[in-house]
Amino acid sequence: MASLKDIKRKIKSVKGTQKTTRAMKLVSSAKLRRAEQVVKASKAYALKITDMIEEIAANIAKSQEELDHPYFKSVANPKVVDIVVVTSDKGLCGGFNSQTIKFVNAQIAKFESQGASVRLRAIGKKAISYFKFQNREMLDQIDGLSSSPDYQKAAEFIKKVVESYLNGETDKVVVVHNGYVNMITQEIRVDNLLPLDPNEFTPKAVSTSELEIEPDDDSVLEALLNRYFEYIMYYALIDSLAAEHSARMQAMDAATNNAKEMVKNLTVQYNKARQEAITTELIEIISGVESMK
Amino acid sequence: MSTIKLEIVTPQGVIYDGDVAMVTLCGKDGEFGVLPGHASVVSLLDAGVITAKTANNKEIVVAVNGGYAKVSEEKVSTIVDGAVAVKDETGALSANIEKAKELLKSSHTSDTAIATAVSRIESIK
Repeated sequence: MASLKDIKRKIKSVKGTQKTTRAMKLVSSAKLRRAEQVVKASKAYALKITDMIEEIAANIAKSQEELDHPYFKSVANPKVVDIVVVTSDKGLCGGFNSQTIKFVNAQIAKFESQGASVRLRAIGKKAISYFKFQNREMLDQIDGLSSSPDYQKAAEFIKKVVESYLNGETDKVVVVHNGYVNMITQEIRVDNLLPLDPNEFTPKAVSTSELEIEPDDDSVLEALLNRYFEYIMYYALIDSLAAEHSARMQAMDAATNNAKEMVKNLTVQYNKARQEAITTELIEIISGVESMK
Repeated sequence: MSTIKLEIVTPQGVIYDGDVAMVTLCGKDGEFGVLPGHASVVSLLDAGVITAKTANNKEIVVAVNGGYAKVSEEKVSTIVDGAVAVKDETGALSANIEKAKELLKSSHTSDTAIATAVSRIESIK
């Protein structure tokens, strides 16, 4: 039986933890709101850029038979697959990162069973430390980017990926991150970045007016697609950040509740122990008095 | 007075969205003006300033660091990497002038293009 003092100390420490987790929950919910706004704001850009690519692709399709661009060349059996995995830099967010890592591991197993070799590019401290521990070689790793997404840095990162694709070093590029659905749900999102599926870019409404493109179709399309890749990367980062905050909020909420429960149980234990001590003391006094008679 | 819809979008969000009477865009091969009913065109944009006039003759100035513009008869959409509004319907936003200059200087265009744009911004005050 733990002594009264021990239980008291324990209660105090659990209460301290509870305070911390509650504060972390509040911080996360504030940060989540901000991250959500960033995601929402960038949606307009996504719509615009896909619109524009669609129109130019349609314009090119008018003059040529099909899109003849390395970005659109799909390979039936990819030999080398690059997986870009995005996790958070910080922990204490429940199963947020382990879900992503588990999924990536399944993907690696899947591609390897198909005879492809997988190269990893990791963003976020959690993925880096996990794969380092597993002794898996990483082609590229960045930390500090997922806790403060930056468009420029995301662009630089994805540029290297696209370059290695164009050099023929890889046949397929997949971006995996844990995305934000709502306050209580996150889901794993996978983007098949390269090669692009031309069907994704068929315009819903073909404009009848002649589109004039300066300086020329291909260079504009190429530059636009590069921007599209940059955006996908950036979006994965901001979406992951929003999801991270929502996951942390949930985890911290659960932790606060658990702490509350624990304090309750410990208090009961403390009262029982106190009662017992009083009883023993009383018995001692009474029996002392008895023996004096 | 007929108007044309102008949208300036960056990955960080929409900088401007509204109806204007005229837009001047900083194209890669030089500035060009767009009036309502302009023929469809897609053009690369250089770093510089986009200026627009609203129907009631107010001037709008936005500094951008390069991107694309798609012009159709009733709409001008621009996709840029970064943009800072220097002047909107209510007047000059002095706080943003420094930011706009920084944005232009960080872009990878020729110094002359940047210098022209910066001097344009400075003349707004």
